[in-house]
Amino acid sequence: MAVSGRDGEAGQDVLRRVGEASVLILISLADGPKHGYALIQDIKELAGVALGPGTLYGALDRLERLGLIEPLPADDRRHPYRITAPGAAALRVHLESLERVSAAGRLRLQLGGI
Amino acid sequence: MGEPRAARLIETALRCYPARWRRRHGEEAAELAALLIRDGTPAGSIAFSYLAGAAREWLTPRPSRRLRLAACALLVAAGSLGVSAGLLPSTVPARAAVTGQSHGPAYCRPGPGVIPAMGGPHVSGWETGHGRAC
Repeated sequence: MAVSGRDGEAGQDVLRRVGEASVLILISLADGPKHGYALIQDIKELAGVALGPGTLYGALDRLERLGLIEPLPADDRRHPYRITAPGAAALRVHLESLERVSAAGRLRLQLGGI
Repeated sequence: MGEPRAARLIETALRCYPARWRRRHGEEAAELAALLIRDGTPAGSIAFSYLAGAAREWLTPRPSRRLRLAACALLVAAGSLGVSAGLLPSTVPARAAVTGQSHGPAYCRPGPGVIPAMGGPHVSGWETGHGRAC
């Protein structure tokens, strides 16, 4: 089930249900293609999350099925992945949605005086 | 944990994945595990992650798996319909036989194997309505 570019442009947050690992993978791939080990290292540095290899492959397969990432030709035994245009659009929409929620949360904390 | 033992553990966990997954990711996954172990990640936690991933892989419905499931359901439905249709004509005469004969169950009525013998008819064999021995 590939996500069309139009869905991404329409502002539908398709990443809302894919889980944190998938979002972190997309963020990691946003600055260039990476293979599994590089993704795990980058996500550890980026978010302090130690992604298990089983979780990583599950998320990679799901993102590929959604058309949000695509595999590049294998480099030795390693398969690098890159983010697709619909993937970048979906990530942008998701991050904007997170920013809105985050801003609302901060505002409410201020108003509540907590 | 020793290196050979860790490798065996990872190999066993990877064997739990479907063959299609192993063909695609198997070698890379083993190499990735070796790199993570070298970095200090416990082999047990890597194996556990792969086991959980394998379980998810088997439980996630895929389009091809869904098609196979639908085909199986259709075959089972067609099969049970066929069996019901096959039973229907053979049960009707059996029921008729029940009404025609007052003794014995319909599926154990005497067949053509009844032969005259001393002291009354000797039944050499009982037949069912379907031609089976009773």
